This record gives sequence, C-alpha cells and structure tokens, in this order.
Amino acid sequence: MSVTTPDLEAPSGVPQEQTTSPKAQNSTFARVAKYTLLKMVSIFFSVVVAVYLTILIANMGGYVDQIVRGQIREFIGQQLRADQNYQQMDPAAKNAFFLAQVERAEKRYGLDKPFVVRSLTFLWNAIRLDFGTAQLMASDTGSRQVRLIILDRLGPTLLLVGASNLILFFGSIALALMLSRSYGNFWDKLIIAFSPTSSAPSWFYGLFLILLFAAVLKWLPFGGMIDSPPPRDQWGYILNVGKHLILPTAAIITSSIFISIYNWRTFFLIYSSEDYVEMAKAKGLSARDIQYRYILRPTLPTIITSFALLVIGLWTGLILTEGVFQWPGLGRTYITAIGLYDTPVIVAITIIYAYLLALTVFLLDFVYALVDPRVKIGE
Amino acid sequence: MQRNRILALFSILLIASLVLGACQSAPAATATAAPSEDTPVTEEATEAAPQTTRVGGWLDEIGMKIVGADSAITQIAAGDIDIYTSNLSRPQDVQASDAAGLERSFQYGIYYEITFNPAEFSDGTYNPFNNGAIRKAINNLVDRDYINQEVYGGLGTPKFFSFVSAFPDYARHVDVIRGLEADLSYDPERAEAEISAALEADGAVKENGVWTHNGAPINLVFLIRTDSDGTRVPVGDYVSNQLESIGLTVTRQYGTSSELAALWVSGNAPDGLWHMYTGAWGVGGITRDDSGDFQFFDSPDSAYGFTTLWQSFEAQITPEYRALANDLANANYSTLDQRKAMISEALQASAESALHVWLIDGQGFSPWQPNVSVAFDLAAGVDINPLTAFTLRFDDREGGTLQWGTPDIFVEPANPIGGSNWTYDNQWQLLTRDSAVLLNPHTGIPLPQRLESAEVYVQQGLPVGTTYDWVDLSFVASNDVPADAWIDWNPETETFITVGEAYPDGLSSLVKTVVTYPSSLYDRTWHDGSPMTAADFVMPAIMTFATGTEGSPIYDEAAAGGLAAFKGGFKGWRITSTNPLTIEYYTDVWTQDAELIAGAGAATLWPEYGYGNAGWHAIAAANWAEAEGELAYTPDKAVQAEVEQTNFVGGPSLEVLATYLQRGADEGYIPFAATLGDYITAAEATARYENLLAFYGDHGHVWAGVGPYILDRALLVEKTAVLVHNPDYTDLADKWAAFAAPKVATAEIDGSARVTVGQEATFDVLVSFQGDAYPADEISSVSYLLYNAEGALVETGEAELSADGHYVVTLSSATTSALGTGSNKLEVAVVAIPVSIPAFATFDFVTE
Repeated sequence: MSVTTPDLEAPSGVPQEQTTSPKAQNSTFARVAKYTLLKMVSIFFSVVVAVYLTILIANMGGYVDQIVRGQIREFIGQQLRADQNYQQMDPAAKNAFFLAQVERAEKRYGLDKPFVVRSLTFLWNAIRLDFGTAQLMASDTGSRQVRLIILDRLGPTLLLVGASNLILFFGSIALALMLSRSYGNFWDKLIIAFSPTSSAPSWFYGLFLILLFAAVLKWLPFGGMIDSPPPRDQWGYILNVGKHLILPTAAIITSSIFISIYNWRTFFLIYSSEDYVEMAKAKGLSARDIQYRYILRPTLPTIITSFALLVIGLWTGLILTEGVFQWPGLGRTYITAIGLYDTPVIVAITIIYAYLLALTVFLLDFVYALVDPRVKIGE
Repeated sequence: MQRNRILALFSILLIASLVLGACQSAPAATATAAPSEDTPVTEEATEAAPQTTRVGGWLDEIGMKIVGADSAITQIAAGDIDIYTSNLSRPQDVQASDAAGLERSFQYGIYYEITFNPAEFSDGTYNPFNNGAIRKAINNLVDRDYINQEVYGGLGTPKFFSFVSAFPDYARHVDVIRGLEADLSYDPERAEAEISAALEADGAVKENGVWTHNGAPINLVFLIRTDSDGTRVPVGDYVSNQLESIGLTVTRQYGTSSELAALWVSGNAPDGLWHMYTGAWGVGGITRDDSGDFQFFDSPDSAYGFTTLWQSFEAQITPEYRALANDLANANYSTLDQRKAMISEALQASAESALHVWLIDGQGFSPWQPNVSVAFDLAAGVDINPLTAFTLRFDDREGGTLQWGTPDIFVEPANPIGGSNWTYDNQWQLLTRDSAVLLNPHTGIPLPQRLESAEVYVQQGLPVGTTYDWVDLSFVASNDVPADAWIDWNPETETFITVGEAYPDGLSSLVKTVVTYPSSLYDRTWHDGSPMTAADFVMPAIMTFATGTEGSPIYDEAAAGGLAAFKGGFKGWRITSTNPLTIEYYTDVWTQDAELIAGAGAATLWPEYGYGNAGWHAIAAANWAEAEGELAYTPDKAVQAEVEQTNFVGGPSLEVLATYLQRGADEGYIPFAATLGDYITAAEATARYENLLAFYGDHGHVWAGVGPYILDRALLVEKTAVLVHNPDYTDLADKWAAFAAPKVATAEIDGSARVTVGQEATFDVLVSFQGDAYPADEISSVSYLLYNAEGALVETGEAELSADGHYVVTLSSATTSALGTGSNKLEVAVVAIPVSIPAFATFDFVTE
C-alpha cells in the first residue's frame, strides 16, 4: 500500500473516473491478489504465534499443571475430611481411595497427558475455533461449553461497553469538529481544562457516581443489570436494564470524553491548517463544505482505524468497571478464567480477539483504498 | 487571561472534589443507636414470637442479587438490600455495620495457623523445623492477643489447639486445654532462650545477630497467602518479624492458594523449597466430635497423608501418638471418660510435636436491616443455615419482599445429584428445601422437622448418649439385620439385593435406627403440585447405588468412590410400613449423639439428595436423559462424555429434560419399574410428569422442591433469583421462632481480692443471659481452673450450684496454702446446654 500526493485540485470526495485498459485491469487484479494472499499468510502466521504464546503463558510453560495438581489434592483432602465414611476407613484404604479420586480428577483436567501434547491440541482446536469445554468454569446458563460461556456474556458486554464507546466515539468527534472551528473560545478552553480528569479510570468515576447517585441520593441502583425482583413485562425489563446502564455508562464516558475530544480536536486542527483548507476558505466555500469535504474526508482513514479498533476492543470488556458495577460482562469472565487457570476459556477469548484484530487489520487496507483515492493496494 | 485562570482553578477544584469524594468512607446511615461491639445482636428476638396462622416462610417474596462484599454494608444502610448473607470479617466492616445501626450474626468455624515443613531436606540444608523443640517454642514467640487485636479487630479468639473454642469438644476439655495453654502462651524471652539452645544444639551459630549454619544464614521461606480474607498477609508478616527479631532470616513468599498449593500440598517437602505456610481451615457446621483432628492434622494417616509433608510427620510424632490419633479417629473407645482421657493425652502429644502453631479462631458475621430478623448458625452463619428459610422475616409485619445480597449466584449447574456445591448456590436451594431433621443452629444437634418418632439401638459398649428427648435410645447386645433388608443394587434386574442374598450367614450392625413419619407426610406436595409418596423415599435408595454401580445405565465413575466408602459402614435399609412410613437403617457408623445417629437414619432416605430436594419424577427424567447419553449429573462425566451437565434451572439441559418429561407423560414411564412399580402407577407417573412440565412452563425451570419457598424465576445471566412464598407448605411460620438468637451465657466472678494463705476462700460465679439468671437445668457444667503466681494450672474442679445463675467455687485451706503468697488467677468455664459456646470469666486475687 502506498499513498500518493494529495490532489489539491479535486478533493471532492468522489473518486475520479479513470479509464483503464484490460491489461491494466489484469495487472491490478494480480497485484491485489498477490497482496491479499501474502497479507493473509503473514497475518495468519502472526495469529498462530500469538495464540501459542498465549497458551504457553496461560499455562506458565506447564507450571500450571503443578498448580492444578496441588489444587486438586487440597480440594479432595478437604472434601474427605468431612466424610464420616471415609474417616472410619483404615489408613491404607484411605490412601488408595484418595489416590483414586485424584487420578480421576487429573484425568478430567487432562493432566494424564504431557503438557506439550495438550498445548498443541489447544492450538489446533483454537485455530479451528473449536473451543470445547471449560475445565472449571460454567456459563451463566450452566453449560461448560466455552462457546456458551462467552456468548452468555457477550450481550451484556456489547450493551454496556458498546453503548458507552459508541456514544463516546461519535460524541467526541462531533464535539471536536465543533471546537476545531472555534479554536480558543470559552468552550475550547473549558474542554482543555477538563481533559486532565481523564487520568482517572472509569472504575474510579464509577465509585464516585455510585456514592453520589446510589448511596446518597438513592436515585439509581448500585449495580447489577436488573432490579431484584425484576419487572415481569418486556418494556419494564428494558427500562429497568436502561436504568442500570446509566451509572456505568456515565462512568465510562466521563473518564474519557474530555481527553477524547481534546485529541480529536487537536487532530482536526492540524488538518484545518492545511494549505488546501486555507485555499478553500479563500475560495469562499461554506464552513460546512470545508468541514466535511476538506477536513473530515482526508481524516477518514484515521477515524475508521480508530473506530475499528474500538469495536474489537469491546471484546475484552472492562474488567474493573464491570466489577465495580457487578455487570455480567466478558471482562469479568476473562479475569475469572485467568484466576482459575481455565486455559480453554483464556485461549478462546484470546483467539477470538486475535482473529478479530487480524481481520480488522486485513480489511482496513481495503477500506482505506475505498475511502481515500490516494491509497493504492499493493503498491 | 483572567478567564483562563478561573477555568484552571475550577478544573483543579473539580479534580480535588472527585478525589476527596471517592476517598471518603461510606456514609453513615440514618442515626440509630449503635449496639456495643461485644454485645451479641438480635438477642431480643428470643422472646416468644406472636402466634400466627401463616404457613411456610414469613416472606411473600425474596429477590436475590449480586452485591460485592466491599459495598454490602453501604447498600444495606442505603436501603438497597435488606440482608447480606456472606461472611464478613474485617474489623472495618464491623465498625461500619455498628455505625450504621445494622443487626448482625456472629459465626465461627474458620481458624488460622502456621504449618511447618519438618522434613529433613534432601540436599542436606539445615531445617530448624526438623527440631520439635524449635517448633514448640515458636508458640511462645507469637502474641496471639496482638494478632487478634491488630489483624482481626478483637473479633477472634486466641487459639492453641485445633479444637474450635466455640464448639463442644473445646468445652468438654477446657480444663485440659487451659492447662496446656499456659505452657504455650506468649513469652518471647523464653522462646528466644529455647530456640537458641535448640539451634546451638543443632550446630547453628549466631554471628552478628544472625543465626547461621555451616557458615550460611538460616533462611526460612515463609509461604504467605495473599487471597482469601486478606488476613494472612499481616499475620505472616508479624510472625516473620518475630522470627527476624531473634536473628533468623525470613524470605516471605507471597502467593495465592493455587500458587502456594503447588509447593506445600503437591510439592515435595524434602526439597526444602519452603519452611512455613499460613494455613486456615474451616467447617461448614458445628462439629460435635473433633477427636479426628489429631489424625487429620498431625499423622501420616491423615486424609492429607498423600502429601510428602504429612508423610514427613511420621518422623516427628511418636508411634504412641500415631496409634492414639488413629484410635480417636476410629472411635476406639467405649466410654466418654475413656475418650476424655485419650483426648487429654493427645492434646499433650499434639503440643509437644507442634507441627502446627494454632493462632486464632476467627469470627465472621452477616449484616441485615434493623427491622429484619433471622436465626443464624454459630458455624454456618445465615447463608447455609437451613433455619434461615423458616426464620427470615420483617419484624414489623408478615409477608413483604426482601432484598437479599450475595457475592454470587448460579455459579455452577444445579441438579440434586451432582450439581453446584457453591455456598452461593446452596443458599437459594436451601430456601426451596425441606428436611426430615434440622440442625439446632446453636448446638449442632438435630431436631425433628418431619419425624413422628425415632428409635436408636446401639450395641452395648459404645459411648452414645442423648441431649433431647425426641430420640428413644436403647443399648442392645447386637443388631441383627433382617434378611429382607436392602443392602445393594442389581443394575441388570433393577432390584435391590437383600441381606439374605448377600449374606446368607446373617449380618449385624453396631447401630439400628427406626424412624417413623406421620401419616400427614403424604399431605405434602412438591412445588409442581405433585403429592409426596413413598416412591419419593425409595428413589434415593436406588440412586445411592445406581450412579456408582458398574453396569447401571447411569453409572458414573465419579460416584463409585463415594459409594465404596458408604458401603464400608452401611448394613441395610428396610421399609417396614409405607403408611405411616417407617424406615429401619442399619449401619456401623456412629457418633456420641443419638440425635445425630437418628438424624442420619432419617436423612438417608429423605428425598434430599446431595444437592437438593427432588421428587422421583424429576430424577427419572434426568436419569433417562443421562442413560441416553444426552446429559450427565456430574462435571466429570459430562466432560468425559462430552455432553452438557444436567442443570435443572437453565441452559441447554432444560429442553432435553422437557423432552423426557413429555415422553414420560406420554408413555406413563415408571423408572426402575421392577422396584418402583410397587409404589407407582402409570397414571400417577403421567400426572407427575405433566405437573413438572406445567411447572416448567410457569417458571422456566424444573427445580421443584418441597420447602417453604418456590424458585419462581432464575435469571442466570443477570444473576438474579426470585423466590416466592409456598402457600401449600403445611407448617406454621413460627415453628422455629425460638431459635432467633443463641442463648450465649455471660459469666462473672465475685469475691474477695485478698485471700489469706491457709484459709478457705469462696467465690461467687454469676451466670446470666441478657441480665437474667441462667436456669440451672440448662447448664451442663461450671468448672473452675486455678492458676498460681507463675501462671501454672494448679487445680481444677466443679463449682457448686447455689441457685439459678449462681454457683460457688470453694478453695480449700490446703489449696490456698499450696498457692503461697502472690497474685493468682481463678477462671471459670460455663458450658450451657442450649449453645455450644462456653462462657469464661477470670478473677485475679492475691494470697498473703
């Protein structure tokens, strides 16, 4: 991919029609096909390496086996302590009984096979998106299928993180565009003044908002996704979930909105001072045309990249904020899986993120070419 | 420019207000008189509750939702929830709860210690804890009172032995324990002297204030847990500081349970990778017999005997102690006096071997609104106390909706055979359950909930007794098991194997229990409307064997081990009558309390499986699905067979279960027909399956219990449960009202602070509850312990009853003569029948 010199004469947003010969078309196709193939291979290779590294890290290079063996023994020992039938066995029978229980549990965890073999099986299954069953965790609906463990949490995650980030993203851009037009005015300075508040994370604002609106004013719930007992009718349910969304969404937005506006506003200001924008102003074009055709359009690749990464970033959820608000999101699932060394769940969440990231990186090249005529694929 | 300054100032103020706002502590709730910190709460609730005509639970509806422990008290104070049932234990939580005027429980059962690695290290490195004298002296190095005050906010109780100080075995042996405690109490000078002597004897040298061995500092690796309730870090740090103060070098290795278990449980102790571990142990209920502790904690014959750590204990204990520990664990004694003598000896041996330094008996609590009351168990607290279902209420009204906060819910798939074992799932299940007997939450002794009568026949020579009069205890020469009693299961014919078939020469048992249910038993209905029948009691007998017997269509390897252990003591069941239902239970498993034996006999066939109540029809559908390879009760089998684990409240299982319920209804399916065909008709079977299908349609799950509340809705992703009042429950709501609060005695000693040597001295002991004299017939014993000026225990004895709540301790002239001049201490230990917690009081006096 390469970028050509900006066409100062025709930044109209409509790609210039070009007549190309069949030979040129074939050449373009070959170039794009070759680029696509190489890109796919290199990205796939990166994904495989990343996933295997995740498997190795999640298992501490096999040391987790020893940890799990310890957990199994401790758990069974505690269980048997409370079993009166077991207590009255003779020592030899006790030991044999215990070891049989341990052996069964280790088999369930796959510890009867060497780690290297299991790690390659994990990798092969992960690449095929065959996530199998979790070792310890269950989905909210009670299934041990990793697929369902993730799917159960996907909805709430998309609802909270999606709603917050979409509002944050588009709100920031819209406000930043407005501010970039009125650089140096009161509102611009106000935003700059507030931007350091984004140094605090969303969970910090979450605590503050809970204290104010739940504990003191008692206007909004402390957390969770719904009241208990929940409304029986559908609309009541939707409104109730909406009520529970207000504080976490507000926390996420508050933690990032000012710095986000500040960033975009600075970004747009740089583009606003380009020569072709000055020329457009000199030509007497309307402010709206300048904003959309001369500022926003050339910045589209950056905006799209930022948006795409934001969308796939939703996948991992917001671990601490979900915890503060007791929100049943993927972030908490991920952190629970790490805490329990539940490798299938960790690998599944990671591989899906890796695939999403790879796909995004792959597609963005094509999107750039579509939105920016200066971009040529494969050159 | 000025505007810029104003904006800058404003932004700074805003940030500062945010920081200050978030850092401030939770707001105090509306002003309410705070109870004294050391005063047990809810005591007023022991007054007899007003008569009621309400049946079942006191509440109309219970909404359970997730609440984090950090915000639980704030949420109760704000009125967002009415009760938080999980265990809180941090001192700041106690203060916040009291400041907010909340009520709270108090519960014991978790205790903290340090486990030593006494192994001889294989690389030849010197291990000081291979020396028993050093281990024992560590007891004198740690100030348990300091730990209790600084780490546990004074809520805990200093501890020197494994026996929990709130449980019966501590009270029974308090005289022995107190005597031994004096030898183990805080005395840093003595500790340093003894440790130094032992180290020098082992060839260690103190150089520049640091102990070395073979020229290298003696470095102790201390494994300190960072998770759990967070108290083990300050405890570990304190003990490390104490060790460092006498010249030992300590490497503190912090880690979570999982990380450290790899070292201390599954690691190889002789590898020398660690020396000490911050241990903690818990029990789920009041344990009435802790005599197995010696084997469990100190002997290689322990349940932990698989670890190289416990195997290394073999070299550290005497063969006599090992044999004694085994005898106690296996109840090889014939009288309670013999038992006490054995335990006294074992306590002494345990103190000498000092494989653990016991530190603190912890105390936790659950907070609730001032207008709420609930009975709590002295070990299990509120969340896993079965009486919670029957006693939780608003004080000012019957009915109402109660908001219940819990750290988690619907953690694992729920099914009665192999479902979720999480406390958080247990609590909603308990609300839907009913049982044949319920444990007295203050003593751990069962009380009849459904039984008409219970008889216990014990082989002569076993030290079994009764506390309550609901059990008829008899001693017999032998319990011959009838030939028609069931003792095993034939999975092919689906019939029981009788004792006559399995043991043609006859069989006898140590214990026989006969429990009889009232005829009204069959008036009770499951939550789906199906009436309870005798078949519901036969199904548990079948399921005891069917899941663990090879050849059964629902065989599960995970159940086989448990069944083998059960068969070790089991001698047979016999249903002698179905109306009234009368069940005989023969076993070799026994305890000192006849009520516990009778309770076990009743529970054995009550349709309460390992993880919840269920009618035979619900089990039949799940069995069918498992036999067809579509579901599995246990996670082990589910993973192995690559199928879903059976879940009665949600997930993919429900559709499968509904399919089999429908097939059952269509076919009039009778499970295990060769046996249950005697108890079930096809028409009844069809009606039952249809009832459960209709229940599924109404509530979205098939968890149909028989308790005072019905699980109305289970919102699994939202982590919310709604339980509603069961109007068909037959018992009055106030049946268990008397257990609203434990009757913990308060003891005081009064007498002269100056006693003349050689003259008799008397001291008054006043025992009360909430200011009123404690009735004498509710007091088991008032014993005294006399310590001389050196702190040594010189005499123990029983106080004499003078009147209700008034006892007298008399020290003879010989005793005061033996004391000599100096400052002495008299301690009394009061053991009351209604509660397991003994009360203590001390009195200092001078002999001159």
